[in-house]
Amino acid sequence: MSAPILKIENLQAKVADEDLQILRGVDLELNAGEIHAIMGPNGSGKSTLAKVLAGHPGYEVTGGTATFEGEDILEAEPDERSQAGIFLAFQYPVDIPGVSIANFLRTALQAHAGDEELDLFEFQDLLMEKMDLLDMDPSFAERPVNDGFSGGEKKRNEILQMACLQPKLALMDETDSGLDIDALQIVANGVNKLREDNPEMTVLLITHYQRLLNYIEPDFVHVIVQGRIVESGGPELALRLEDEGYATWQSEVTEEVG
Amino acid sequence: MSASTETTIALNEGVTEALSREAATARSAGEPEWMRERRVHAFDVYARTPMPTRRLEEWRYTDLGEKLDLASLSLGTRSEVADDPSAWPAGVRATMEEDWDAAAHVVLIDGTVVHVDLDEALAGKGVVVTSLRDAVNDEETWEDAKQYLATQAVKPERGKFAALNCALYLDGVYVYVPRGVHVDLPVRVTRWISTSAAAHFDRALILAGETSKVTYIDEVLSDDLDTHTFASNAIEVIAKDGASVQFVQMQRLGRNVFAHSQQRTLAHRDATANTLNVALGATTSRVDLNAQMLGPGSSSEMLGLYFGDGDQHFDHNTSQDHVSPHAFSDLLYKGALDGDAKAVFRGIIRVHPKAQQSDAYQTNRNLLLSETASADTLPNLEIAADDVKCSHGATVGQLDEESLFYLMSRGIPQEKAERLVVMGFLGEILLKVSLGGVIEKITREIERKLAHV
Repeated sequence: MSAPILKIENLQAKVADEDLQILRGVDLELNAGEIHAIMGPNGSGKSTLAKVLAGHPGYEVTGGTATFEGEDILEAEPDERSQAGIFLAFQYPVDIPGVSIANFLRTALQAHAGDEELDLFEFQDLLMEKMDLLDMDPSFAERPVNDGFSGGEKKRNEILQMACLQPKLALMDETDSGLDIDALQIVANGVNKLREDNPEMTVLLITHYQRLLNYIEPDFVHVIVQGRIVESGGPELALRLEDEGYATWQSEVTEEVG
Repeated sequence: MSASTETTIALNEGVTEALSREAATARSAGEPEWMRERRVHAFDVYARTPMPTRRLEEWRYTDLGEKLDLASLSLGTRSEVADDPSAWPAGVRATMEEDWDAAAHVVLIDGTVVHVDLDEALAGKGVVVTSLRDAVNDEETWEDAKQYLATQAVKPERGKFAALNCALYLDGVYVYVPRGVHVDLPVRVTRWISTSAAAHFDRALILAGETSKVTYIDEVLSDDLDTHTFASNAIEVIAKDGASVQFVQMQRLGRNVFAHSQQRTLAHRDATANTLNVALGATTSRVDLNAQMLGPGSSSEMLGLYFGDGDQHFDHNTSQDHVSPHAFSDLLYKGALDGDAKAVFRGIIRVHPKAQQSDAYQTNRNLLLSETASADTLPNLEIAADDVKCSHGATVGQLDEESLFYLMSRGIPQEKAERLVVMGFLGEILLKVSLGGVIEKITREIERKLAHV
């Protein structure tokens, strides 16, 4: 068996400027092409895990390791991680007034291309192809990034960026939050289409609710509570969570701590 | 004659202390009597007007006592540079290389006009582009200059510095466009400052006849100077009935310069007087801009853009006077500030009692790129009519960690990410200006400043 694409061992992290520990030793292995879902209650550290893996400056790693394709990524800048093939779909995408989606993506793809000059015609073709794949109107690309977007438009924009950047590992941070069921289906369909296009793409879904998993079926489900993965299993684990909630594990951990 | 006369009034004790009626008179050597009287009158206004202090609302955020030391400066004297590009500073030649698309060029060095060229066909139609000195001194043409120079727009009574400029200006630019004539390409003016520790005064009078059209691009620049230097400038725009004037000022002066530009646009019936002020250089930059909507149907689009870094201080003081009904004005000033830079914006819309059906808008937006940059923004309305549409708004935003992380998480390195955000933010202004060379120069200068981050 080949080595995992992402290997996390005993990862610990805290809020950068505060004495607030969030991840307390996360262990996780993802093989190429797998879909993993991480579920947990509010404040369990599931979003923090995604942000730490992407290099968010608001968190400080206090222990453990994370390797992507065998390389330590924890010291790399966020742009270097992106260029290596990691993509974070934001829970709350940021607006950039005056910068069109096309310009933004062209700048990003140029950065990925390094010294090699990005062919603008090829870029245009790629953008149109991906927008077509995601059933998006071409005029969308001319709108300023997330500026005045609805919640659904912001999330679709995240999926479009993911489609264009073609990451090896997609970290999806509560992509389902704030979406109605129609928008959720559109976003989930987008992810599935990208997976059909590129079955090797590995996905880590961070979610609070089981409903997203009705549309994007995970290979593995992990439960995170108080900064640790407390149980892993197949898709049936998500269904169990839907019925039982997190109470079982929360009390276990509390007892352990107490 | 002039050189020696003026050298005697190079004031070792400083411009303020040793200034006298005689100094203003000496400045007028060779000028007609009416101009001498005007300068002396300006001096009298200057003398009786107290130096503005921070107690005045308009100067509250720019401390002249700290930022301007007139007493340390000598009075700028006529430049002897020849009318020959090879004799001009490299910076002048470099910036003019992009200015070939022009109806006319004027080059000033230290306030002295050293070059003028004007398209012959336009000259044939009666268009005049010349040095202010020549316009004032030529009996054939001085009637208009006599009527408008410092009498209606930037007249001495506007304040201490308006009076000082009128009393002491060395030279400047005179543009006259006859009724009905359209000047399609811009008049491009390059003003270079090379002598430091001096106070330089120049001005421009732009007269657009009925239904005429003209664009005037004023670029003022210098190298970084070794000591404190003052560059004072006055811009008078008269747009007669139905005329359309676009005025653009690009301020790219070097460090140690205190740049002060006092501008006033008078728009008569159905006339348009649009302005764009770009402030990128100097240590302290102050722009006073007043747009007068004098006739019904007049309009003024007022755009501003600034980018500060280091210890730069920008102060924009604007006012929109709706004197007549059915007029329109729209102001949008946007600036980004890095390092310890500071921006002040103070704007007021004044709708006079008879100006019903006025449309007047005013927006100032600031983007802070560092923890130590700051912006004070004070938009204001003063409305004496009851049937008007007016709005004002101001924001000071921060390029925060989250925005930067978002861009970087897409693979964009930090420096490029900052550039993208800043250019996106300022692009709203640039998109409204379609002038060859202008956008490129501004973009390049901003990118150069960002690269130092």
